[in-house]
Amino acid sequence: METGEDFGPWLARQLKLAGKNQAELADELKLTRAAVSAWITGRSVPRPTMMTEIARALGTDIGTVHTRTTDTQAGLPVTWYHRPGYQDGGRDGGNAAAFAFDADVQVLARETCQNSLDERLTDNGRPVRVRYTIHEITGETLDAFRQAILWDELQPHYEAVSEAAAHQKVGRVVHAGVRDMFEKGRLVLLRVDDYNASGLVGDDYDNGKFAAVVRRQLESLKSDRGAGGSFGLGKATLWATSALGMVLINSTLSVPHEGRTERRVIGRLELPWRSVGDGTYAGPAWLGRPDPDSPGAQVTRSWWADEDIVERLHLTRDSDEPGTSFLIVGAHDVASLDESNADRVVDDENGRDGQEDDGTRDIRSMHRRLVEALERDFWAAMTAGGSRLPLLETSVRTLRNGQVVVEEQQIDPTEAQPARTRALRAFYEGTTVDRLTEPGQVALRTVPLKLPLAGGRRGTHGTHQAVLLVTDAGDKDGVPKQVHSLRGNRMTIKRSTVAGLPLGVNSFQAVLLTGTAAGEAAPFAEEAEEFLRAAEPPEHDRWGQTEELTLRWSHTAHHRIARLTTEVNAAVKELVARPKRSGDEGGAKLRKALTVSPTKKTTSRRAAGPGLPELDGLDASIGPAGEWRITAEVKLPRVDELPVMTPVVLLDVRSGARPRLDWAELVAEEGCEMEDGVLRFTPGARRAVFGGATDVTSHPVRTALTRLVLELRAGQGE
Amino acid sequence: MKFYPYKRLNRPIALRVTSASLKLPDNTRDLLDTSAWSVPQRTVALGVAQHDDWTSARIGLSATLPPGAVADDAPWTGLKVLVTLADGETNVRTSVELRQDAPGSKEWSGFVEVNRDDHVGRAFLSAQAVATVDDVAGRSVAETDEDWTVDVTADEPLGGLRLDVKQVGFAKSSREWLHAYADAPWIVDASGRVPAVLVNTDVEGFADLLDAESGGMENKVHELLVTQMSTDVWTAVFHSAVGDLETESDGTPVFPTDWRGEVLREMLPDVAPGVHVEEALRRVHRRRTGDAGWVELQTRIHYAAVRRAGVSRALSQALRALQQSNRGDHA
Repeated sequence: METGEDFGPWLARQLKLAGKNQAELADELKLTRAAVSAWITGRSVPRPTMMTEIARALGTDIGTVHTRTTDTQAGLPVTWYHRPGYQDGGRDGGNAAAFAFDADVQVLARETCQNSLDERLTDNGRPVRVRYTIHEITGETLDAFRQAILWDELQPHYEAVSEAAAHQKVGRVVHAGVRDMFEKGRLVLLRVDDYNASGLVGDDYDNGKFAAVVRRQLESLKSDRGAGGSFGLGKATLWATSALGMVLINSTLSVPHEGRTERRVIGRLELPWRSVGDGTYAGPAWLGRPDPDSPGAQVTRSWWADEDIVERLHLTRDSDEPGTSFLIVGAHDVASLDESNADRVVDDENGRDGQEDDGTRDIRSMHRRLVEALERDFWAAMTAGGSRLPLLETSVRTLRNGQVVVEEQQIDPTEAQPARTRALRAFYEGTTVDRLTEPGQVALRTVPLKLPLAGGRRGTHGTHQAVLLVTDAGDKDGVPKQVHSLRGNRMTIKRSTVAGLPLGVNSFQAVLLTGTAAGEAAPFAEEAEEFLRAAEPPEHDRWGQTEELTLRWSHTAHHRIARLTTEVNAAVKELVARPKRSGDEGGAKLRKALTVSPTKKTTSRRAAGPGLPELDGLDASIGPAGEWRITAEVKLPRVDELPVMTPVVLLDVRSGARPRLDWAELVAEEGCEMEDGVLRFTPGARRAVFGGATDVTSHPVRTALTRLVLELRAGQGE
Repeated sequence: MKFYPYKRLNRPIALRVTSASLKLPDNTRDLLDTSAWSVPQRTVALGVAQHDDWTSARIGLSATLPPGAVADDAPWTGLKVLVTLADGETNVRTSVELRQDAPGSKEWSGFVEVNRDDHVGRAFLSAQAVATVDDVAGRSVAETDEDWTVDVTADEPLGGLRLDVKQVGFAKSSREWLHAYADAPWIVDASGRVPAVLVNTDVEGFADLLDAESGGMENKVHELLVTQMSTDVWTAVFHSAVGDLETESDGTPVFPTDWRGEVLREMLPDVAPGVHVEEALRRVHRRRTGDAGWVELQTRIHYAAVRRAGVSRALSQALRALQQSNRGDHA
C-alpha cells in the first residue's frame, strides 16, 4: 500500500477544498472543535471508527481517508480558470515570450534539455534522463483525450480566437491547429519527460520552480550559477510548439510539497485576448482545482491527481523518480518545412502515402529532427569517460494511438559525433597528447581567457585557462574544421569554422571547454562561467556583445571573447598546419601562379570539348580467334552538325606509347553509318551504337593479357 | 574507354597515410605531426626545417579495398595488396606488400620506407590489389584512382609541381652566365631539376613590388606583372618540355616522367583540344619535328599559357580599377 501524507495537513486541505471549516466538521461528527484542531495540527489521530465518519462527512470512501494519496473529489471539480480581461481594457495578442520562437522542435529540444540539465539532481551523480515521445492520436483515443482536457469548456474560447484570427498571428496559428484536429481527426502530443531532475517544487504562487514555470514569464529560477539558461525564455518554447497553445504538466517532486511528491498536475493555456459570452479574458488559462483561498474560489491551482486522471491526460510517468513531464498538445514543427521541401520530392516519388501531406505535423520528420538536434547540441553532455558518467541521457520514440511507429531511439553521441566525443573522452580519461602524429589522437592546448574587472573598471580580474581539444575527423562528423565551444552545462553554445587555414589541411574537429567544463582545477572557472553566460543571447548560440555584458562589465568586454577566438584559431592552426616558411622569395602570388596543383588539373582538363560525340559504354569480349570483339555506345550532343569520328583501338600500357590495333571489321548498328573506318552520325540522333572486331595479326601479345582501350578521335584519322 | 579481359572491381582502393617518421643519422626516429601530410592534397611533405639530414622515412599506410574484393565468391584467389612508390626523376621503384588487418577484412595496412638518397623531389604512391584470375597470376583487380605524392624536400604538404622563384642580382652574380642578361628584369631557367624564375634584384623596387601585398592601383599592377611573368614562364617551360622529348624506335614521343610530363599534361589539353594527351603530344611532336605546322601551333601554345596564367581576369580587373580612378579624377 502506498504511504500517503500525514493526516493533519491532508485533512486541512480537504476541508479547504470542500469549503468547510473545522467547526462545521466538528458539528457533523458531533465532536468538539478542539478535537478536530488536534488532528489537523498533528497532536492526535482519530480512532479507526471515526475515520468512517470523516469519510462520510467529506463525501468520499474510507480507503481514500486511510491511504491519503489523493485528494477527495468532494471539493470543487478540476476545471479551467481563464484570467479575466484587464480592467483598463488592454489586450494582448498572445504571449510575447512565445513570440520569440517559431514552432521548431529543434529549438524545443535545445531549451528543454538545457532546463533538464540545469535541474539535474547532482547528489547521486547519475545523469538526468530526458525522453521525447511523439504520439499521434485519432478516433476514440482522441475523443477520450478531448474529454479529459474538458474540451467542451474550452470550445467557446477557441471559437472566439478563431473569429479574430484574421487580425493576429497567434490567432491564425490556433485557428489552423483546431481546424487540423477536426478536419483530419488527429492530434499530435509531444511529451517531454525528465527523470532524476528536481521537478516543479515550491508553492503554487510564491517564489519557487513551480511558479516560475507555470505562473510567470521571463523569470529564470535556476539551481546554480553554472546553469545554461538565464532568460527564463526557454519554457516559452513549450507553448510555442503547441498549435493549440496548451501544455499539461505532471511533476514528481524531489522535495515534498504539502507532504506529497507524486502527480502534481496542472495545465496551462496560452491564447490571445478574447471575448466569450459576457466576459473578456486576458489570455492565459490554467487547468486545475479551484483554490478556495482565491477570491470567489475561481483561480485554479495544481492538484494531486490520481493515477486514473493522469492516465487519461497521457501524463503517466514511468517511475517515481523525480522529474517533470510536459505534454505539448497539438505539437507542430513549422521549421521543418524549410528543410523538407527539397527532399520531399524524393519522398513522394517513393510512393509515400498521401496522408502525411502536412509537413508541420509529420511525426516521422519530427522524430528525425529531434534526434538531429539532440545529437548536435548535447553530444558533450551525453559523453562519459573515465570515472565520469554522462550528465544527460536522451531518447526519442514515436507512437500512433499507443502503437509504436518508430522504436525508442537512445541517442548515442559516439555515433553522430565520433571525433568530438573521442576528444572529450580522451580529456576525461587523461589520454590527450601534445602533438598529433597518428589518426585517432587528441591534442590538448590551454587557451587563456582574460576576464575583465566588473563595473567598467580597467584591468583584468583573472585569467581563465580554457581547454582546447583537437582531433582528426571523418565524414560522419559533419562540417569539417569546426570548433564547438561549451560551458559547464556541456551544451554546444557556439559552432565556428576556423578561418585562415592553409590549403590542404586535413579534416579535423575541435572542442573548446570553458568555465567549469575545463575541469575543477581550471583557474577562475566560476567567473568565466558567469562572464560567458552573460555573453549569450536568448538563443544561447553564440558569445558576443550583449546588454548584460555591457551593464555588468563594460561595453568593451566582448573584445575579450574576440581575443579568445583569435587565440583558439591560432592554437588550432599551430596543431593542424605546418608553419609558413619565412624566407619566401618573389611573393606568394607569383608562387601560386607557378604551381601545377593536382586538384585543379581535373577541372582544367577538357576531355572532348563541347559539342563532340563521346563514348558512353563499351562491352568487349575475346573472340574464338583471339580477336577483341567490341560493342560501343556513343552519346551524341545536341548540335546541328555532328563531326565525323574515327574509332581507334589501342592496348593500354604502363608507360610509353600505346600500341594501336587494326580493325578487321567495323559495323554500324544504330544512329550512324560506317565508311572506311569513319563514323558518320545520323543527324538528330541522340545516341549511336557500333560494333567491331580487331585484326589478330596486329596484336603484339596474347589477347588475354592485354587491356583494351577504345578512343573516338575527331576527323578522319591520320 | 578501357576494357580488361577478366573480371575486376570497378571502384578504386582508398589509400591513406596514417603516420610518418624520419630516421636521423644517429639512428633515432622522429615521429612527424599529422600536419606533415594532407589528405585533401594527397601529399606527404618530408622536408622539415629541423631535420635536413634524415636518411630514410617510414610512411605508415592503410588501404581500404572496394566492396567485393574479399568476398567468398570473388572470382580470384591469392589476393595481395601492394603499394608502389615510383619516382619518375630517379626511376626508383619500391614495392611493399600490405598486411590484412584481420582475416576477411577490407582493411590492409603496412608501411613503406623512403630512402632519402633515392629521391630528389617528388615520388608517387599508389596501391594495387593483385590476384590470380582465370589462372593468370599477378592480375590487378583494383587500384587507387589518385596517387599520393611524397615530397622529400617540401615543408608544406601541397601536392603538385612548384616552379622555383629565385631573387638574384644578375650583374654581380656568381653565376657568370647571368651577366649577359643584366638588363632583363627576369629570365626563365629551365635547365635545372625544376625550372626556375630568376628575378633580377638589380632592377630597383622590382622585388619589392613582387612581394607587395598592398591594395589599390599598386596591387593591380602587381597582378598584371605576375600574369605577365607566368605567361612567359609557362611558354618557356612548355617549349623546353616539347623540345627535349625522348622517342621510341618508331619515332613516337615518350611521355616524360618528370616535371616536363606534368607541364605537358597541364597545357596540352589547351594546345591540342579534344584528344587524349598522348595523342596530343604525338601531334605536337610531329609538327615540331615535321615539315609544317609548328609556326601555326605557336598561337595555341601562347593561348594555353595565357589561360594558365589567368591573364584575362587580371587585365579586366586592372581596366576596371583604371576606369574607377579616372572617374575619381574627373569628379
